[in-house]
Amino acid sequence: MVAEGALAAGCRFFAGYPITPASEIYEVMMRELAGRGGLALSAPDEISSLCYCVGASLRGLKAMTATSGPGWALMSETVQYALMSETPVVIALVQRLGPSTGGATHGAQGDVFLAEFCTSGGYTIPVFAPSNAAECYELTRQAFNWSERLRTPVVLLSDKEVGMTTEPIDDDALAKPANFERTWGDSHAPFAAYDIERVEDVPCFGPAGGEVKVTVTGSAHDRQGHLKKPSSEVVELLVHLQRKIEAHAADMALVSSDLDPEASCLLVSYGITARAARQAAGMLRQQGFPVSFLQIQTLFPVPAEAIQRAAAGTRTVFVAEENLTGQYRAVLAPLLNGRRLLGINKIGSMISPSEIVRAIRRAGGTIPRCDWPCEYSPDAEDREPSRARKAGV
Amino acid sequence: MGNTTYLAADAKFPYCRGCGHALVVRQLSRALEGLSLPSHSVVLTTDIGCVGLADSLFPYLHTVHTTHGRSTAMAIGMALAEAVLPASGLKPIVMIGDGGAMIGLLHLVHAAQLNVDITVLVHNNFLFGMTGGQHSAFTPLDWSTSTTPDGNRIPPLDLLALLRAAHAGFLARHFATDSNLNAVIADAIAYPGFSLVEILEICTGYGGLKNLSKGAALHEVAARQGYSIGRLETEQLRPTFAHLYRRDIESKRTPLLVKEGCRVNARDESRPAQLQNEGAADSRIKIQDSKPLHIVIAGTAGERVQSSAALLCRAALSAGLYTTQKNDNPVTQGSGFSLSEICLGPRPIQFTGMESADVVIAVSQDGWNELTTNGTLRALTPGSLLILDSELEMESPAGRVLRQPFRRDATPKRATLAAIAFWLANEPVLPHAAWNSVLVSLPMERRTDVLEALGVGSNLARQGGACAA
Repeated sequence: MVAEGALAAGCRFFAGYPITPASEIYEVMMRELAGRGGLALSAPDEISSLCYCVGASLRGLKAMTATSGPGWALMSETVQYALMSETPVVIALVQRLGPSTGGATHGAQGDVFLAEFCTSGGYTIPVFAPSNAAECYELTRQAFNWSERLRTPVVLLSDKEVGMTTEPIDDDALAKPANFERTWGDSHAPFAAYDIERVEDVPCFGPAGGEVKVTVTGSAHDRQGHLKKPSSEVVELLVHLQRKIEAHAADMALVSSDLDPEASCLLVSYGITARAARQAAGMLRQQGFPVSFLQIQTLFPVPAEAIQRAAAGTRTVFVAEENLTGQYRAVLAPLLNGRRLLGINKIGSMISPSEIVRAIRRAGGTIPRCDWPCEYSPDAEDREPSRARKAGV
Repeated sequence: MGNTTYLAADAKFPYCRGCGHALVVRQLSRALEGLSLPSHSVVLTTDIGCVGLADSLFPYLHTVHTTHGRSTAMAIGMALAEAVLPASGLKPIVMIGDGGAMIGLLHLVHAAQLNVDITVLVHNNFLFGMTGGQHSAFTPLDWSTSTTPDGNRIPPLDLLALLRAAHAGFLARHFATDSNLNAVIADAIAYPGFSLVEILEICTGYGGLKNLSKGAALHEVAARQGYSIGRLETEQLRPTFAHLYRRDIESKRTPLLVKEGCRVNARDESRPAQLQNEGAADSRIKIQDSKPLHIVIAGTAGERVQSSAALLCRAALSAGLYTTQKNDNPVTQGSGFSLSEICLGPRPIQFTGMESADVVIAVSQDGWNELTTNGTLRALTPGSLLILDSELEMESPAGRVLRQPFRRDATPKRATLAAIAFWLANEPVLPHAAWNSVLVSLPMERRTDVLEALGVGSNLARQGGACAA
């Protein structure tokens, strides 16, 4: 459905390299894209995949590649280039168990930091996280739209369990947002490739090979695109790369909430674990334990307002995610005004609804520690995630 | 645009005095002038290093300044786009050094293989100049550099020989001082496919002082390495990738704007049945509203385990149920176990895993062993139902066990479907009619196959019914 979403979004270029669990997107694009006026091809590695996409995007084509953690690691150089050169591109990152080659056929949600914090400078890379086939379609379209509109790389972060599970969808119920196109410059008048009025503006796009000369660079540059040592103009453009994202953070924020005004605790999750968490919330309510549930679909920019609204009135926030150290929990920590923040974490297999229920019920009583359902888990964490905070969250 | 002046009239070269880069830049400009290319049809794609400073010298050309070694890869992307854009005759020209050529060697090899219409000018000055004269993969033997103070011990790479093996169509090697370099570059640009010119030059900042005698020193360096100068003999001209792609897709091109959602299932399924409960009401479904039925099907790779499981899901869909299917196999895919986990329920499935299987179907020893290893059997409850092949060697698990000779009676490839039919005959979760829509969607040969397999399972259920182990 990622491939379907990409095709519907107007993707015209795909370069791929095989990797479990993202190979199916590659295969579908290789099969389908040619018939829809696009080009899909095999690259000799993931570095090439993303570079080819950037090259095609520089000529005006909507472009995408798909990979998993090991391939993403190779792409981070070119992700930064796309960010700096303001070249739209979408990367579907289908997570598997890491680190390194890890477990190719096991799901995980361990690449949240890897996806988001891969730039020198810590720039915000928009990250969307689908939890099922329908959301794969919808959020891929969102990823393309925001990539084109903001001229920046966007990540669609799913995982093996989302990407390789077959399930039916109701076509009529799918959200089909209108496609955005990047704003093209006047094709007759000379223009500066990085010309903006306000710092949060997105510059007009001119294609390499078009009638009007363009100057593109991944180095620090002025409005003309010329490599320059940092001056106030150059620094403003570096700030602009972040401001243009932040200015649209509220528009990009997508969540799915199921709030209970009586609830004293909020359960937050995303991706595959959101499905178990949603089910767990239902089970807890049946047991007479009111709980609010929030699924985050736009992981970054962090939908802070929606999170704070959902947390209002609660004393405890639980974050369920399939990684060891509570990556998104660390992201939420500064937003919660001292509320108790507990992680429900596990690796090696999916977190089940009953594991979440058990963890919340134990922590909700007098037990001051979170129940870690994970057999590999370290000490339960009922504290500020200081390590992650140091990492720049 | 349409300008035919390429090099800025007042160009201030940023290079060290005597650097070969300045010669190459002038010769490139002369080559472009000779070809009379409209300036907007050239994209100068520059790499990292002193060579990457050329952008600012060509104010009328498109320029893309890239990361180290990736100039070739991004030029490939730009050239490939030509296959699906209105023909523009765009010429990406890559300016890269010997350092960039090595770190981006893969891109050069693939560009040659694809035969993309780009021209690469490799400025080989035998070392990394911008960073202080460190040796590169192209540094001649015995050269003293800042990182080989006792002399280089690693033989230099013969890039052209390597790219000839990658089926490059235009390969040439020249000195930056060659007076006909402009003509060679012009030939390379005019060549309709991948072309590369390796230009030998001296880094006056770091290369010359320690390693060269005066006069024809550069020629001596080339001669000592056995480098031939001029155009190399290569394969005959062959079509570019973009050309082949355009030709191949003409036959299968459909209008660009295909109706949205023409296919809706992740796996090329037709649209799921209307999810109404009428079918479910007829089918004596035993599934609890709040709890989906969890089924694990295990067998051996290549014996149609996962595809049979998919047929079960499709039958369930046509009966108005929601399903999810997850597959597992060893990383080798074609050997060992093959396994599917299925959830069936009257409501959308949230959690797609299972804490305990309600039904286990195992039709081979590989599959059974995996169920033992992966914890499925440990998690069974007394209420679990196990449909197992008679041949399995096993210890008694928890749960109710039914054993039948599926492999013997139905053949190994049909054993999974036979076992599914046997299960459904014992536990009528789906109406028989649910299979009809599945069967009509199959090619005739496969339909017969499936019908026979299902028939074996049903017969086994009728004959002996529940032959408990």
